[in-house]
Amino acid sequence: MTTVDEVLGSGAGPPLPHAPVVEFSRVTKRFGPDVLGLDDISLTVRTGEVVVLLGLSGSGKSTLLRHVDGLQLPTSGSVRVLGTEVTTAGGGELRTLRRRIGFVFQQFDLVGCRTVLENVCTGALGRIRGPRLGLPTYPKALRREGLERLDRVGLADRAFQRSDTLSGGQQQRVAVARALMQRPEVLLADEPVASLDPESSAQVMDLLKTISREDSLTVLCSLHQVDLALGWGDRIVGLRTGRMVLDLPAAGLDRDQVMAVYSRVGADASALLGAAG
Amino acid sequence: MAAPPGPGLVHVEPKQRLTAPPSSASTAATLVLIGLAAASVWAFIDLRINVATFVDGVHNAVAFAARVFPLDFPSFGEILLLCGQTLAIVVLATLLSTCLSVPLAVLAAGNTTPGDTSRLGSRAVIVIARAVPDLVLAIVFVRIFGIGALTGVLAMGLHSIGMIGKMYADAIEQIDNAAATALKAAGASRLQQIAGGVLPPVLPAFVAVGLHRLDINLRVTVVLGFVGVQGIGFAIAESLKVLDYQRGIALAVVVLGLCIVVELISGAIRTALLGRSSGPRGGITGAITGAAGALGRRAGLGARDAERSDEHLGVDPDLTRDPRLRSAAALADGRVGPPWDGARIGGACYALVTAAVVLASFSGAGISVTEAFGSLPRVFDSVGLFLPPETGGLFGELLVQLLITIKIALAATLIGVVLSLPIGALAARNVAPSPAVANTFRLVILIIRGIPELILAIIFVVITGLGEVAGAVALGIGGVGLLGKLVADSLEEIDPGPERALAATGAGRGQVLFAATLPAGMKALVAHVLYLLDTNIRAATLLGIVGAGGIGFYLLNASRVLEFGVVTTIILMVFATVMLFELLAIWLRSRF
Ligand SMILES: Nc1ncnc2c1ncn2[C@@H]1O[C@H](COP(=O)(O)OP(=O)(O)O)[C@@H](O)[C@H]1O
Ligand SMILES: [Mg+2]
Repeated sequence: MTTVDEVLGSGAGPPLPHAPVVEFSRVTKRFGPDVLGLDDISLTVRTGEVVVLLGLSGSGKSTLLRHVDGLQLPTSGSVRVLGTEVTTAGGGELRTLRRRIGFVFQQFDLVGCRTVLENVCTGALGRIRGPRLGLPTYPKALRREGLERLDRVGLADRAFQRSDTLSGGQQQRVAVARALMQRPEVLLADEPVASLDPESSAQVMDLLKTISREDSLTVLCSLHQVDLALGWGDRIVGLRTGRMVLDLPAAGLDRDQVMAVYSRVGADASALLGAAG
Repeated sequence: MAAPPGPGLVHVEPKQRLTAPPSSASTAATLVLIGLAAASVWAFIDLRINVATFVDGVHNAVAFAARVFPLDFPSFGEILLLCGQTLAIVVLATLLSTCLSVPLAVLAAGNTTPGDTSRLGSRAVIVIARAVPDLVLAIVFVRIFGIGALTGVLAMGLHSIGMIGKMYADAIEQIDNAAATALKAAGASRLQQIAGGVLPPVLPAFVAVGLHRLDINLRVTVVLGFVGVQGIGFAIAESLKVLDYQRGIALAVVVLGLCIVVELISGAIRTALLGRSSGPRGGITGAITGAAGALGRRAGLGARDAERSDEHLGVDPDLTRDPRLRSAAALADGRVGPPWDGARIGGACYALVTAAVVLASFSGAGISVTEAFGSLPRVFDSVGLFLPPETGGLFGELLVQLLITIKIALAATLIGVVLSLPIGALAARNVAPSPAVANTFRLVILIIRGIPELILAIIFVVITGLGEVAGAVALGIGGVGLLGKLVADSLEEIDPGPERALAATGAGRGQVLFAATLPAGMKALVAHVLYLLDTNIRAATLLGIVGAGGIGFYLLNASRVLEFGVVTTIILMVFATVMLFELLAIWLRSRF
């Protein structure tokens, strides 16, 4: 069968000038004997690219993202990220790698009973030693940095509120500030707006876009709403039951082509890729 | 419809199902339960616990009363001193136990353990700590550290790990791991993930469990006084030794008062802690409601829906300014520590009071660290004394006594259940005919909880004479303090839906109780009764020291006459029995 790289190389878009940041080659992840989380995925993401992962729920978006920073390891295949082979990396190496990768989750995953600023400061745990519990246990300089990150997401005035007293949209912005606290080179976002109302969704997506442009981040963001995806990323990757069924530049893509990712029957992978090319 | 407030971390809400699908496992469990019930009834009959005993006992009681009254209280200063000493020991013991329990629980909880070996290892330590009664530990430690506070602190501190460690591990297993995973994804080390993502949500429950154990340990010190742990229990033991009942019972009344006061204070703190953040969800909703309520009032928004007002109305008390500007202003302000608002001042006060109590306990208990370390070399000599186990030719007799202990525990559990069900039901606000009745029975339960089992045992030894009847009745009545409260609490936690539906059809209060309330609480009830049986098995071994029957008497005697090999044998027998019932209870609970 044709790999995605070959399809891209054979004129799907101009070759990207930048170095690869994330390289999946023939990655397969099995959960038990008959559940395939990822099915023979090969994918290269280069510096500064903003990639949107599309797919129905259960198609493997979260699994793919969690493979990028080694929260899950593949059953077979290789995952290279920022020059580190994730599958063979030791604990220390993985920590160092994760420090360079920000991760924003669907449910924000803040520590609800702690202040907003403390939650942001936890983003710096990777570069300080020892366990911390309570805002005063973080160095002043880090707290000041945290306040700056909070201001970037527009919430510095909420620094000392318990984070669970914020609205969903605000909590997700705090989660973004926490990721920024890592000074990341790569940003992963797993359906960052799936639990938000349309207005907050737009706000958070705009924020992510601005930040990734300003900090020239490499971004992998999974979404399940086609309309949000179109016009947001540089490149759209479609997944269905763990297989990559679409990988195209976002420019010039129309809604119907993308919707094919969602059709349960019909269009198999190669037909779709061919049609788009 | 609004669901009732989420269950606390330590309570499991009973799952409701329409019909239980019959399975061999649950059939076996039911048979075992029926077997236990039958054994309890047999024990009750075999011990000859009946009304006649008590009628005979009346004149004993009258004669006893004559020797007790007037009560002879020591001077106020002396009472304060004794109470202070006791509290100091109890606080330090509980503190020691919580400090040891946190790492054990982290190793034991499935979501934080580094591996199966440490998980099983720490679970084993916790179960063993639970199975070795504190009295037994005290008897051993008195040999090593002598009569004094340290013995009590270590004995209660180590035994309490059995309860605190287990409840901490359960609390950790119930939290949402997502926050810890988020920290892991940010490159945090394992320890950082635990401190930053796991401990914050469980801290309130940790404190609440610690306070709960503090109540229990306060009662235990009375027992430990009989083997040489300083404090009010020691004073009671001394008085009773010289048959000075006027002083002994007066001190018992002081203990009762102390227990009730401490229980009320710790209960209030626990409610405040858990009420503010019980489960992850309930906590969030509660916090949001609270915060938004305050915000809304200040902004004159009235009681509008919290999240909504925050999200769409812009919320902020000052609607005229741009949120971006306010954020920038906060950044320019550069404040990196929380402001001293009411909550922070309150928190700081709590911390100060806690620190003061702990420091006072250290000085009050008079434990010197150097002295403690100084006695460590003696550990090896002393342990040598206890080995090898010997029977002193008494093994048959010991087995008989062990059987009596088990009978006492079974009969006591039966008495406890029979008394607790009506008392607990009447104490539940959703079952009692009127709030006044509920409050009255809550008070009855509180008072019973306040009386240490040992004091009850002494009273019943006087009424029914030396022997196992006194032990069984004392434990049975004491059980109401535990089970009655659990029954009332679980009844109040039950989803009011089915009840309301039934009541709406015109069913009477009793019909509602049997048709809706009880079935839903059955699973919880089984768990609670097993818990009571478990507690009673351990408590029954202790009562022997005041002559309330069973193997405890032999334990105390063997240590008095320095037959330490026999002490070891008895300890092993008690340990095996407790473990047996513990494992049986674990198995049964997993089947319901
Ligand atoms: N830890 C796991 N154990 C077993 N199956 C899993 C696990 N994680 C994901 N899966 C399965 O893998 C598939 C992909 O899941 P996921 O990556 O979460 O999809 P998505 O994020 O696109 O909704 C699903 O079928 C899911 O049930
Ligand atoms: Mg997902």
